[in-house]
Amino acid sequence: MAMRRPRVLAYIHDWSPEGAHRELPAIRAQLRGLGAELAVIADRGAWLLGPDDPPVALVGDPQGERSFEVEDGQMLVDALAAASDAMRTPPPITFTRREWALTSLCAGFAFVVLGCRGSDKRGKAASAQETPKEPAGPEYEVTLNVNGTDHTLKVEARVSLLDALRERLGLTGTKKGCDHGQCGACTVHLDGRRIKSCMQLAVMTQRRKVTTIEGLANGETLHPMQAAFIEHDGFQCGYCTPGQIMSAVALLAEGKAKTDTDVRELMSGNLCRCGAYPNIVAAIQAARKGA
Amino acid sequence: MEPFSYVAASDEASALDAGRVGTFIAGGTNLVDYMRLGVLRPNTIVDITKLPLSQVEEAAGGGLKIGALVKNSDLAYHPLVEQRYPVLSEALLAGASPQIRNMATTGGNILQRTRCPYFRDAAVPQCNKRAPGSGCAALGGFNRSHAVLGISDRCIATNPSDMNVALATLDATVHVKGPKGERDLRFVDFHTLPGEHPEIESVLQPGELITYVTIPPVTGRSHYVKVRDRASFAFALASAAVVLDAADTIKTARVALGGVGTKPWRSKEAEAALVGSKPTPETFRKAADAALAAAKGQPTNMFKIELAKRTLVRALTEVSHG
Repeated sequence: MAMRRPRVLAYIHDWSPEGAHRELPAIRAQLRGLGAELAVIADRGAWLLGPDDPPVALVGDPQGERSFEVEDGQMLVDALAAASDAMRTPPPITFTRREWALTSLCAGFAFVVLGCRGSDKRGKAASAQETPKEPAGPEYEVTLNVNGTDHTLKVEARVSLLDALRERLGLTGTKKGCDHGQCGACTVHLDGRRIKSCMQLAVMTQRRKVTTIEGLANGETLHPMQAAFIEHDGFQCGYCTPGQIMSAVALLAEGKAKTDTDVRELMSGNLCRCGAYPNIVAAIQAARKGA
Repeated sequence: MEPFSYVAASDEASALDAGRVGTFIAGGTNLVDYMRLGVLRPNTIVDITKLPLSQVEEAAGGGLKIGALVKNSDLAYHPLVEQRYPVLSEALLAGASPQIRNMATTGGNILQRTRCPYFRDAAVPQCNKRAPGSGCAALGGFNRSHAVLGISDRCIATNPSDMNVALATLDATVHVKGPKGERDLRFVDFHTLPGEHPEIESVLQPGELITYVTIPPVTGRSHYVKVRDRASFAFALASAAVVLDAADTIKTARVALGGVGTKPWRSKEAEAALVGSKPTPETFRKAADAALAAAKGQPTNMFKIELAKRTLVRALTEVSHG
């Protein structure tokens, strides 16, 4: 079965186009943004709908039996494989992890994106997703150079560099912790210096060079600091780790730390609530001595 | 964060023009934080980071001229600052974290707002700084971190900056430009006491921009000591900046306290107790008593009075032993 445009496949126990008439405009708007169509499989039937088409019933089961049919064996295999993929490998191509989590929670169902086999359409869908929601304030065009690649975005002035990286560019390695400059999870390098990206307005980074955790490794070869964190087990839950590593790489470049006490003081902008500090210090010292 | 407009100033003239209606932003570490908290709500922010104010230069006569946009980290590690003004370097490095010091600027640090938890919480109705005339939730509230010097019955919030305490001892001058021209302001007169109007924190007028700070040469040694709840990355409970020129007797002394005052607290009383005396523990204690003589504590911050005295004695002891 050949599919040419991305298809969002949703499994919902109790759903029908009639019952969902209030949500349909919003669903259509989302589909338009995604450039996708939606297939819903429910207890009582299955439907296909595009952004501008009325729902087409694929199969129906007015008796309300807990079963459904599919068009053919390939569709079943595709659906099962995609569902299985989705369980293992978030995020799906046309959703950020955050949207994935929110949508799943809100709708109470697991859904799967069956992308078209050709990557051209995927690219189109991904860029369509960047169409911002109705802005509340004026927008400004800004070109960020992130990990060596220029990205031009239109952002409101209140968008932080952190949110631009995560929500607009899909670079979710940089973490949001406190959003007030206190925890360091959002540490990135701006023109080679470590900063807190939550306190940095994206609009003020015009033409500036941003390096994130995604830009540290050289292909499959880890940056020595990344390798040292693994070697010395410098993390537990891992949430603060990208910020710790970005901060530590800058700390070595600054050249002010020698003793463990120096390292602790100059890493004070990065909190680890698991308390992996001894191993973090060990990893940084190992990387420093190896450098 | 509420929406706002953004203007990038290309030079001083365009900055001053936009500053008639907008709020200047440079590092943003203080402003963005308070905008996200809903405490500050500018309609327009004016980005001044493209202005050529990022230089530290040796001034005529041996002093230092520091551009308003010099980052805290660049200032702290500048060779001239490390050699001639250790108190400034130490104070800067005692503040914030490396990432924030890479963002925060000299001008912004001078103007940073208090950390009073009631000022920071826009949901608290009473704050005379945030909403003039609404009252003070810190008086009679949780006030362990608050000031004991320069307080009024309207406000007991501290000035949180470490750098400001050092600049107070260094007899710095703040140079500003505004719609009505240029002004040179003595740093010790720059911040104002809360009095009846805690919402006013300095003599800076609307639309005025700090362009640079100058500090004269220093004779003697200088030093900064900061005491806080944890080893690093915390605001001062008490701090002391001292400049001391002493041999058998003390020739000149300059003393300022942080964490205990509603503004960076230069203590002429302590200086008078030091000059002409021998640099002994007794002299230092006498100076500390003089510095805190006018202090008035609240039920939960009374400890700060003795803590500030001991902090000052330690700073004087360490600086006199070199």
